[in-house]
Amino acid sequence: MIIRNFGVRHGRQVLSALPSAPSCLRLLSTQTTSAVAGNQDAMEQLAALSATHAAREARLAAKRQQREIAAMPSNFKKFVAYQKETEKLGSEIERRYLPDEIIRNPPHNASLEDLLAAQCHMGHHVSRWNPANSRYIYGQRSDIHIISLEQTAAHLRRAARVVEEVAYHGGLILFVGNRKGQMPIVTRMAELAGACHLFQKWTPGCITNKDVLLQGGQLKMVDETDRELKGFEEHLRDCRPVTPDLVVCLNPLENYALLRECALATVPTVGVVDTDADPSWVTYQIPANDDSLRSVALIAGVLGRAGERGQQRRLEDAKQGIVMWQTPKDVKSHITRVNRKIKEEVEAKRERRLAEGGADENGLKPADLMTEDEVLAEMFGPGAVPSKY
Amino acid sequence: MASIPTTRRGLAAAMRGAARPRSLEQQFQAMRLSAKCSRCLSTESFQAAPEIDSEKIQGMIQARHARPVPVSPSYFSRTSRFNDSYLALDKLLRIYGNLPIIPPNAVERVSWKTLDDFRHAVGEQVRATDYVKCLAIVKRLHQIHPKLKPAPVIQALNDFKRSVQAFKNETVKQQLDKYGRSLGNGRRKSSSARAWLVEGNGEVLVNGKTLADYFGRVHDRETAVWALHATGRMDKYNVWARVEGGGTTGQAEALTLAISRALMVHEPALKPALRRAGCVTRDPRRVERKKHGRVKARKRPAWVKR
Repeated sequence: MIIRNFGVRHGRQVLSALPSAPSCLRLLSTQTTSAVAGNQDAMEQLAALSATHAAREARLAAKRQQREIAAMPSNFKKFVAYQKETEKLGSEIERRYLPDEIIRNPPHNASLEDLLAAQCHMGHHVSRWNPANSRYIYGQRSDIHIISLEQTAAHLRRAARVVEEVAYHGGLILFVGNRKGQMPIVTRMAELAGACHLFQKWTPGCITNKDVLLQGGQLKMVDETDRELKGFEEHLRDCRPVTPDLVVCLNPLENYALLRECALATVPTVGVVDTDADPSWVTYQIPANDDSLRSVALIAGVLGRAGERGQQRRLEDAKQGIVMWQTPKDVKSHITRVNRKIKEEVEAKRERRLAEGGADENGLKPADLMTEDEVLAEMFGPGAVPSKY
Repeated sequence: MASIPTTRRGLAAAMRGAARPRSLEQQFQAMRLSAKCSRCLSTESFQAAPEIDSEKIQGMIQARHARPVPVSPSYFSRTSRFNDSYLALDKLLRIYGNLPIIPPNAVERVSWKTLDDFRHAVGEQVRATDYVKCLAIVKRLHQIHPKLKPAPVIQALNDFKRSVQAFKNETVKQQLDKYGRSLGNGRRKSSSARAWLVEGNGEVLVNGKTLADYFGRVHDRETAVWALHATGRMDKYNVWARVEGGGTTGQAEALTLAISRALMVHEPALKPALRRAGCVTRDPRRVERKKHGRVKARKRPAWVKR
């Protein structure tokens, strides 16, 4: 008994020190090991069998998938090569309708046919009209007001001219379209016109309460050729947020707050006015259907192209030294302040260096220079100057 | 003869100036100079110091025109940084949307930033619906075959990955220590237990007491060593355990889990048997919180007609 306990107590430590020791000691136990896996009945065995079969199937399927995935890159390369080869085969379709073509490559001007094709003439049900729009309405057909496309074209040309000139004069344009599906239109047009875009809800106060709401907005200082300028970090941190100089709104009905703020801040606005909208909300109306994405895309595209032309003209003129915009007063004063400060610092540094006996930019030290008395003595003879004056 | 004889600041400045030297020279000429001027004075022309060249002074702003413009085109929306990355992703999807994708089950698992993480990262109050749309694009781009995934896509997706990727964690395989002990942790309700298992003859010490001393209820005693009991290993191991928190039931059941996990280190083949005995899964049930308008978690106040 004692010997056995000795073996159990000390042998354990010896055996556990070995890397693969553990299972020998269990054999010393008196109790028989109950067979855990031994008492399965036939059903369980069958279940286990089918489980192993399923596992094998799953393993095979996984392997197959892995092979497929591994072959993908080479297959894709083959596909691309084949596609390129067969691209020119067959008949050539010259004109076909691509829904996003009008967004990717918008026209510079819209003819009456284009406007009609884009369904810009479709107004609202006659009962929903705003009588202020009567001058834009051509007539009514099956209880729907038809917008006069001549009016639309004329107003669109005028608005495009406004956008172009604002861009030419270095103004900040904001394209707003926050109906569903207008995001690609608005972002593309903003990209063309070098403008800002808004495709979400306008946060009321971004103009009238801009100091609070747009506080964290990042600004950069650019020169006439749109290169970023250094040395304005301090100013940009402290200056007020900017407001747009022109707002183009594709759905004025939903943007009452924005248009009202623009009116308060005397920011001119361009808006697509349907027969149910109030034309007095915007400065430059474009009577057209604002519910169809095609119609809106066409109108916004023309405006975006106009902005693009304006920016191009501005940059070309800037290369020749013609700049049509003025530096804001606060920026101007910042430049003078910074330059004066730096000049003074340099002067002070130079003075200090001279005072310490260092050489100035000509390599002259104070010791090389004559004092005033010496100058006078040199000029008028040694007795000419009283020793003290 | 380059030196100019004065210390007076005004004179020096005047001589440095480009416009002045002539008149100064004339002044000097007008003065009758004695012949013995040996040191510096002369009517010879001299080189005046150049003007302070503002171009060379560092930090000076040279721009003739300057105006502030927004960095982001989404300046007027309150979530400009989010919008920028959303539009960038949208563009990437338009460009690379035709690359082959791999089935969802084969895609590398990634923990994407949660809405809160993302809001914190960009510092904007991003709307949940917008973020969901954005994440859908992210996941679609992530599905592109890894060997064909372009660099801009990889870079754009990195902004949406969490800094800690839980799926990359590898489970640490527990091993016996040099004394032949294995350690297992177990939790239940608000109790937590650690059990060290060593080959032996069935001694159990819980917080320094024997099982019978520590657990008053027989049921709890049985529960605590249920893992050993169910696998018939009661007399083959010694247990030394620490239990904290909770009540007796919780502690006993935390011990079950701890011992079974420690046992699986000794004998991994016992896992199915332990699972059948209900000793492998952690019981996640906790005390249900009390709700307002209720007496307890679910109990309603007594209803009186009026």
